[in-house]
Amino acid sequence: MSDVADDMPAASLNRRDLLRTGSLLGLTLPFAGALTGLGAPQAAAAAGQLVIGVTQEAVNFNPLLYVNTGVETSVEYIVFDALWKFDPAGKLIANLAAEIPSAENGGISADGLTWTIKLRPDVKWHDGKPFTSADVVFTLDVLRDPKVVVRSRNGHDHAESYEAVDDHTVRVKLKESYAPYVVSWQKTSIIPKHILSGIDINTAPFNTSPIGTGPFKFKSRVAGSHIEFEPNPDYHGGAPKLTTLVQKYVPDQQTLYAQFQTGEVDIYELQGIPPLLYAKAKALPNCKVEPSASPFVEFIYFNCGKPQFQDKRVRKAIYMAIDKKGWIDAVYYGVPIPTLSYLPPNHWAYNSKLVDPGFDPAKAAALLDEAGWKAGDDGVRAKDGVRLSFTMSTTAGNKAREQAQQLVQQNLKKVGVEMTIKNMPASVVWGDYTVRSEFDTLMVGWDTLLYPDPDYGDRIVSTAIPAKGGSGSNYVQYQNPEIDELSAKGAKTVGQEERKAIYDRIQEILLDEMPFAPIFAYQTIVGVRDRVGGFVLNPYTPINTWNPADWTTS
Amino acid sequence: MARFLINRLLQSAVLLFGVSIVGFALMHLAPGGPLAIYTLNPTVTAQDIERIKVLFGLDQPVYVQYFKWAGGLVSGNWGYSFFGGQQVREIVLDRLPATFLLMGTSLALALVIGVAIGTLAAVRRNSVFDYATAIGAMIALSLPTFWFGLLAIFFFAQTLGWFPAGGMVSIGDGSLLDRLHHLVLPVVVLALVLVAQWSRYTRSSMIDILDQDFVRTARAKGISPSRVLVNHGLRAALVPLVALAGLQLPLLVGGALVTETVFSWPGMGLLFISVLSTRDYPVLMAILMVGAVVVVLGNLLADIVVALVDPRVKLHDE
Repeated sequence: MSDVADDMPAASLNRRDLLRTGSLLGLTLPFAGALTGLGAPQAAAAAGQLVIGVTQEAVNFNPLLYVNTGVETSVEYIVFDALWKFDPAGKLIANLAAEIPSAENGGISADGLTWTIKLRPDVKWHDGKPFTSADVVFTLDVLRDPKVVVRSRNGHDHAESYEAVDDHTVRVKLKESYAPYVVSWQKTSIIPKHILSGIDINTAPFNTSPIGTGPFKFKSRVAGSHIEFEPNPDYHGGAPKLTTLVQKYVPDQQTLYAQFQTGEVDIYELQGIPPLLYAKAKALPNCKVEPSASPFVEFIYFNCGKPQFQDKRVRKAIYMAIDKKGWIDAVYYGVPIPTLSYLPPNHWAYNSKLVDPGFDPAKAAALLDEAGWKAGDDGVRAKDGVRLSFTMSTTAGNKAREQAQQLVQQNLKKVGVEMTIKNMPASVVWGDYTVRSEFDTLMVGWDTLLYPDPDYGDRIVSTAIPAKGGSGSNYVQYQNPEIDELSAKGAKTVGQEERKAIYDRIQEILLDEMPFAPIFAYQTIVGVRDRVGGFVLNPYTPINTWNPADWTTS
Repeated sequence: MARFLINRLLQSAVLLFGVSIVGFALMHLAPGGPLAIYTLNPTVTAQDIERIKVLFGLDQPVYVQYFKWAGGLVSGNWGYSFFGGQQVREIVLDRLPATFLLMGTSLALALVIGVAIGTLAAVRRNSVFDYATAIGAMIALSLPTFWFGLLAIFFFAQTLGWFPAGGMVSIGDGSLLDRLHHLVLPVVVLALVLVAQWSRYTRSSMIDILDQDFVRTARAKGISPSRVLVNHGLRAALVPLVALAGLQLPLLVGGALVTETVFSWPGMGLLFISVLSTRDYPVLMAILMVGAVVVVLGNLLADIVVALVDPRVKLHDE
């Protein structure tokens, strides 16, 4: 057949035509690109426009409803305000409130139970309506409304009653003294009553086109692509200096890094630059790349309800058998900070007297021997018919954690402990599997309930075990009357000195009893292009979008 | 014809009903669920999660949830997203244009180039061109798309700076030229695989036809070789390819999971990936149903078109 075709002159003409068409298509497309040149990067670098790149998409902008910590918190800080916020030194600065209530200014009663909060009279919502105490009371109403899908009540259930005294004063009476209450307010952005009252908040259009009091107004969103904000010229904290602020969704980490490099993205934070790319990123021209302290601590969570983990000596031996430093260096390129507690070491309440049991396989083996776990024929220790074998679970596909698990697996094998990796998608592992304490161990990063408050009762007191009908997040099923008592006392005590002593003791007990093994405090590697001004890292907020009104571009 | 259509549409309705039941059941049978994402937020306690479960109606038996959802769908209410409370119909339809643009361009391009390459390879069977395109197609088909996508970003966006590294428009721009500029890399990556498929199918179909008696007769009658190739050969060879086009039609709506993710293309594929990870049941079900409808329609369309262009095929009134 082919020889016939070869004899067809018209067919070869046809081939030429076809080839021409093909190459035209193939060539013109890149040519079109060359024509426009670096159009995209230039557009992104427009004066006054700043682009934040994120790898998760923000979909719900109602600050009381959204679930995604990070990307949606970023939108919250851009569009909304709470009564006060933390500055980078950890000092509270008044935002919607006129001042921070204290015993000195009469804001907090002598018994600590009555809070009188004065609000700024000059604040306006983005639609021009005045902000008043009615909005604050409405926000508290919504938080307690059983029909609204509120994510968390942020500790406001400690309030017995609340009322608007006048247009710019709110009074709250607490059931009992509750030290983290000041953080409850810092985490509660105020929502507008005049827009949300009387409608179904769960499906309100407000959730996707929010109206706040914050430095920027929500301008538009292209689903799956980006959100655009415009400055609020009447912002009570001073008009923002940018002309446009954009949160751009780039699902793939490598692509986001590429866009940061080409200048299509100015700020790369939240999940941060992957540690693997840290060295490379530091060498990028016109960029500042540095680690930012994060409240999240990485743990191995032991399920104390399982027969393997009932003896604290087993949990401690496992802690000593694991090369924590090797883990940090090999998997995370030395970026995270080692910690011995559920708090990052730079936290004011961190117990700096804690003694590191260290990485000591010999001692770990001895401790297991002492506890009666003897090596069987298969090399795995056992006691009373229970093998010292367990699974470790985390989100499947998290490369760094998968590497860490293999490291831990090897460490443990050396002391006769068998660990199997059992990872699952996030929607599975963090569901009932975690909440109902069905796991053996978890590899997980968490911060405190109301960070930076050191209260940790929700995760350690015996009444907070969901698997036993309790209310709280004590998924490790840890029970200790002394911890119960200290946690209750710590939450009630207001003086920082007194509290420090209580939390020092709690951390000491936890390190000794080891219901969860603290490994390190995360650091987010934040990348900021040099054209951005006014960007200041803040370890007291979960993200660094705490002062967007001060940001500038050059 | 009318009876055939009515029959097929009725069958399709039953099929879609079955798909919805199986899809809904599988979604709920799978371990985990939409509430898991709350657990990762440290400020959310287990009792908060319990409260939210009731509000979402997830504490009710699965069949009750199914009938609530299906009843809504029949009356035109696709439900509300668990995360954000936005109307599901709005969420899904929002993504259609982006996917349509990306997949439409890629498919059209792949069709033209693929058929051209396939035809030439068939005419010049066992030539250098034939072998080169065969090897090229095998490589293109075995390349993982994400790898090829990342490579394209590395060279053409990061190193050379010719194209943007993902996205559909530059923020604050959105002109036609800007859109085309963003379209190039993902289209090339997608088209590469599609061209490979189309060229191979066209080649084998064409070879079948060129060996047939009627082609030989046409040549013997002295019709010019190019007319034989186009009017007799290609026309007949394209018939089986119409069926293939019908099967690829759902891509226009379903999008490309990997390519859309790598290039941050705001289409259906990207939406599916993100709601799959959050298990946003109402949105997941909507995507499943839209996908099922398009598959059924694509097949129906292919059958009709084949019957129209191929006199040997008759539509039976079953």
